[in-house]
Amino acid sequence: MTIRRFWVFIEQEEGKVHPVSWELLGVARMLASQVAEEAAATGDDVVVEGVLLGENVEHIAQEALYYGADRVYLFDDPVLAYYRNCPYYQTLSAVSKKYGPEVFLIGATTLGRDLAGAVATSLHTGLTADCTALEMGEVKGSQKRLLLATRPAFGGNIMATILCRNERPQMSSVRPRVFPMPERNPDAKGEIVREEVEATEESAMACVLEFIHSKGESVNIEYADVIVSGGRGLGTPEGLKLLQELADELGGVVGASRPLIDSGWISYAHQVGQSGRTVRPKLYIAAGISGALQHKVGMQNSDFIIAINSDPNAPIFDVADVGIVGDLYQVIPEMLKQIRALKEATA
Amino acid sequence: MNTRDERISFDVIVVGAGLAGPAAAMVAARAGLNVALIERGQKPGGKNYFGGAIYTHAIEELIPDFMNRRPPFERPVTEAGFWFLSEDGLTRMTVQGGKLANQPADAYTTLRASFDLWWTEQAQKEGVFLIPKTTVVDFIREADGQVIGVKTDRPQGDIYAPVVIICEGVNNLLTQKLGLIEHDLEPAHLALGVKQVISLPPETINARFGLPDNDHGLAVSVLGDVSLGLPGMGFVYTNSKTLSVGLGVMLSTLAEYKLKPYEVLQRYLQHPVIAPLVAGGQLLEYGGHLIPEGGYRDMPKLYTGGALVAGDAAAMVNALHWEGTNMAIIAGKLAGETAIEAHGRGDFSSKVMVGYEERLKESFILPDLKQYRGFSHFLDTHPEFMGTYPAFLNDALGDFFSAYGRPKMQLFKGMLGSLTGRRSLPRAAGDIISMGRAVLGW
Amino acid sequence: MFHALVAVKQVPDTTNIRIDSETGNLVREGVPAIMNPYDAHALAEAVRWKQQLGGKVTVLSMGPNSFISTLREAVELGADRGVLLTDRKFAGADTLATSYVLAETIKAIHEQDPIHLIFFGKQAIDGDTAQVGPGVAVRLGLPIVTYAVKIREVNLEEGRAVIERKTERWTEVVETSLPVLLTCEKEIAEIPFAPLPDLIRSLRYDPEMWTMEGPCNFELDQVGVKGSPTIVYKMGTPPLPQPGEQINTRESGIEEAVKFAFDKANKAGIVKLILGGAR
Ligand SMILES: Cc1cc2nc3c(=O)[nH]c(=O)nc-3n(C[C@H](O)[C@H](O)[C@H](O)COP(=O)(O)OP(=O)(O)OC[C@H]3O[C@@H](n4cnc5c(N)ncnc54)[C@H](O)[C@@H]3O)c2cc1C
Ligand SMILES: Cc1cc2nc3c(=O)[nH]c(=O)nc-3n(C[C@H](O)[C@H](O)[C@H](O)COP(=O)(O)OP(=O)(O)OC[C@H]3O[C@@H](n4cnc5c(N)ncnc54)[C@H](O)[C@@H]3O)c2cc1C
Ligand SMILES: Nc1ncnc2c1ncn2[C@@H]1O[C@H](COP(=O)(O)O)[C@@H](O)[C@H]1O
Repeated sequence: MTIRRFWVFIEQEEGKVHPVSWELLGVARMLASQVAEEAAATGDDVVVEGVLLGENVEHIAQEALYYGADRVYLFDDPVLAYYRNCPYYQTLSAVSKKYGPEVFLIGATTLGRDLAGAVATSLHTGLTADCTALEMGEVKGSQKRLLLATRPAFGGNIMATILCRNERPQMSSVRPRVFPMPERNPDAKGEIVREEVEATEESAMACVLEFIHSKGESVNIEYADVIVSGGRGLGTPEGLKLLQELADELGGVVGASRPLIDSGWISYAHQVGQSGRTVRPKLYIAAGISGALQHKVGMQNSDFIIAINSDPNAPIFDVADVGIVGDLYQVIPEMLKQIRALKEATA
Repeated sequence: MNTRDERISFDVIVVGAGLAGPAAAMVAARAGLNVALIERGQKPGGKNYFGGAIYTHAIEELIPDFMNRRPPFERPVTEAGFWFLSEDGLTRMTVQGGKLANQPADAYTTLRASFDLWWTEQAQKEGVFLIPKTTVVDFIREADGQVIGVKTDRPQGDIYAPVVIICEGVNNLLTQKLGLIEHDLEPAHLALGVKQVISLPPETINARFGLPDNDHGLAVSVLGDVSLGLPGMGFVYTNSKTLSVGLGVMLSTLAEYKLKPYEVLQRYLQHPVIAPLVAGGQLLEYGGHLIPEGGYRDMPKLYTGGALVAGDAAAMVNALHWEGTNMAIIAGKLAGETAIEAHGRGDFSSKVMVGYEERLKESFILPDLKQYRGFSHFLDTHPEFMGTYPAFLNDALGDFFSAYGRPKMQLFKGMLGSLTGRRSLPRAAGDIISMGRAVLGW
Repeated sequence: MFHALVAVKQVPDTTNIRIDSETGNLVREGVPAIMNPYDAHALAEAVRWKQQLGGKVTVLSMGPNSFISTLREAVELGADRGVLLTDRKFAGADTLATSYVLAETIKAIHEQDPIHLIFFGKQAIDGDTAQVGPGVAVRLGLPIVTYAVKIREVNLEEGRAVIERKTERWTEVVETSLPVLLTCEKEIAEIPFAPLPDLIRSLRYDPEMWTMEGPCNFELDQVGVKGSPTIVYKMGTPPLPQPGEQINTRESGIEEAVKFAFDKANKAGIVKLILGGAR
């Protein structure tokens, strides 16, 4: 009898957990359930376990149990107080070698992507980055089910499913918000295992002199999750204030069609389209934009598109998931109203 | 910055790796000259646009064994001619067989991104040094005006050569800078060509255009109700796996009717005859490019001390036949030959450069351009030409081929009435004469 | 003497990528190949330091012969030496095998000519994995600074550098020993417009071609397909978006129309995003 371990790296900074960690515990549980039958047949155990690194973070280990971990390996030491590549990857490789997990999931955050490549290389195993779908599937030539990790490639034009046949663990980094947040169950029981930290300050090779918390972010619409874009239909530059209000409410940024840049209402950095930026946010709201080809090519790959236009035949509606035929000066204030109500209701 | 001895210098500089440029460079390099070909694009052809079809007679004149060098042709043109569109009808006048069955064909449909690259590679094989991603912005000149090199947009960007051949295409900024032409081309003499490249499975293309297989292709000019009766000429070219569909409209017309080119193209693509041809296709590219349709009337002075102009930059386009590539290539060749002569004689002044114009006169280029000199003017002054006659043709033929159960004499009277209702007989006769003047150079 | 090494990859320009609607395959035809943009910015920074400190910049790439054009472009941007790792046996490498070949080569170059800074791009835009840089750092046992946005200081005598890196939360000012490996954001440096003499030199430049035969000794089972634990199991196009739905405020009223839109967004999982906004 062996233990089949499904591992999740619990990411925290300054004692705050990145929510993707909990999402991944949910994923690990789902993957574990997909091999339950197979494991029962061979008499194997299947467990979901978290690995947590930091200083004074035991309370987080406890949380991990509530979010579904059967066990958490806790490394609590000043050398791990803040994230650094070397001590973190060395610790993770060592514990992985010690217990031999079958699957190891890490959030595809800036921290997680920095870490995952280093861990995988030092364990000499395969890593699939930025996955958007995961499954334990049957694969010809393999007795056990394997991790089928699906990820976008070539700017999202292609989905590739990757697997790692022989090396273990099978590693994946997973985009935040792809999977749902599991229920928190404060009655859940589990074990917290304190582990010895081997990494030392000397082996860290780097130290952070200063953390600079930035205030006003400069626009980076290419990578924004939410973009609220306006076009000539705004009529006046004042209209941009309304868009900004909606964007702020959504944690997004303001985009624009070319005429607004040409008339100097907003800077080029905001232009979406063929001669501006190509964007693919999760949510794109197009207000008063007709949907000329040159605009569409820059935004049609967005995950979800809401178009607001007073002309029912505007071509923007061809690429929109939802088209609202109406006056943006009526629709957007209503959107703000409903979003605020929604937030209040869930707060 | 450059001191004299670390100057970058060549025997010949050619500006623009379109069609004329590589031709000029190839010819000069073959004679052993050290040639720089300067192209502003990332790669030759990347941003170049045309209909279109390329004529092999011109290529063959430079590279007799061109077919062995695997030119990136799409399809041979095995059927060519005119389509006349009315609001809802179509009359075709195309030919197949005969000369169009020649092997290799007289013309091939092509896409510039791949063709220009190949064409430039043929020049590079002769030793031409391609300098991409660099835009020529001005000339280096002696006190007397003799051109001795070019300035580019790069830091430390001067390049010297006793002969500069300008093949910059229709945006003739450099030609203007040299004072070879005083003004921008007039909107009434410039057409904006806009087109889409639409991908369709080859079998669908063959079925829709009645082509037996992928080794047959169609090239037609579309006249008439191309875009709501505007004076303009449309085209349809079949490529291997795509269609090139577009039209040319005079800039003056766009301005007059306040139209956006893309709208005009959209309307053309939605025409009941055109729409089914492109239905279900995937849009791959959309682009526009100017065409200097003024021809002979808009030609700049073709040479000055140390410099020559060829191709679109010199308005060498026959608007009725969509011939521009062959003129560009042959003019490039003749410019290259003139550069060789100048090096042979060690004289780069106008006295030798004038030989270029002589060569053009002996070729088909200047005679053709002269003959068609009135064509764009004719279109500009006869806007109804595009609206009236194709519609008449459709109605008339429609009547002719319908059985009405009435005496045929009535039918012919009706047809005549359908014409005179549109245009009085004397005016129709006048149209025919002006058309003849424009095309035959009467 | 200061020596920087930059790893550059050639990638298809993904902003121009098309998928054959029939076969679902990538249409490579007509898709321009470019230097991975992050690598180009990294290179620009390396060249900036060369201009400041003297010394030289070597670029390194693994890929087919067609990558020569990218190494030439690197020379245009100011690199002094280009090495292309090219061999059939390298083909089909995943990030683990790639990091092996690059790391071994960097070791060899370092022996010829000690390296102080090793630059990588943040990620390659074709795969977006961001794994090769960290992988190489681990194999070389070097410190790594990912998401580098600025190099504040390079001190060759004391063998240390101060670098800024940008994460989701903050900017960190990191001090490390040399040599150090950086993976760079585009902000690290603007790409300059190269002077004409550099362009001309680059057009005539031929990079050194290194293969399985040498000068490095590679282990056969660590390179290419053999050295790659992962395989691509299948490829497909992402599901096409459903044709959208339209609602007219004149018929439904404003409130209903917005509700309708948010309801759809909810089903697509966007509402979580809406609620997460403006944290
Ligand atoms: C080579 C080239 C490159 C280009 N690159 C770009 C590019 O990168 N990005 C880009 O955007 N464009 C680009 N363009 C321009 C593009 O062709 C269009 O002209 C432009 O996108 C139109 O902008 P618009 O939709 O804001 O304006 P319009 O086309 O004028 O549309 C305004 C829309 O607002 C609607 N409207 C009006 N009032 C209201 C109201 N009160 N409420 C709701 N709706 C209302 C109208 O119905 C209309 O549909 C490019 C063009 C060319 C030729
Ligand atoms: C829609 C359309 C359809 C057409 N159809 C046909 C057809 O079917 N058959 C046909 O024979 N002809 C056709 N033509 C005409 C034909 O395309 C042109 O006549 C021909 O391309 C002219 O060649 P060229 O070398 O003079 O100019 P171009 O092909 O325009 O080349 C000019 C080159 O110079 C470069 N350049 C410009 N300025 C600079 C600078 N300052 N520094 C460096 N580089 C510079 C440009 O990037 C370009 O590569 C068509 C044209 C259009 C627009
Ligand atoms: N084949 C390669 N040759 C050289 N450098 C590479 C190669 N593949 C990746 N890199 C480098 O590694 C970085 C990250 O790539 P990736 O991990 O594929 O996203 C790139 O920006 C390059 O600097």
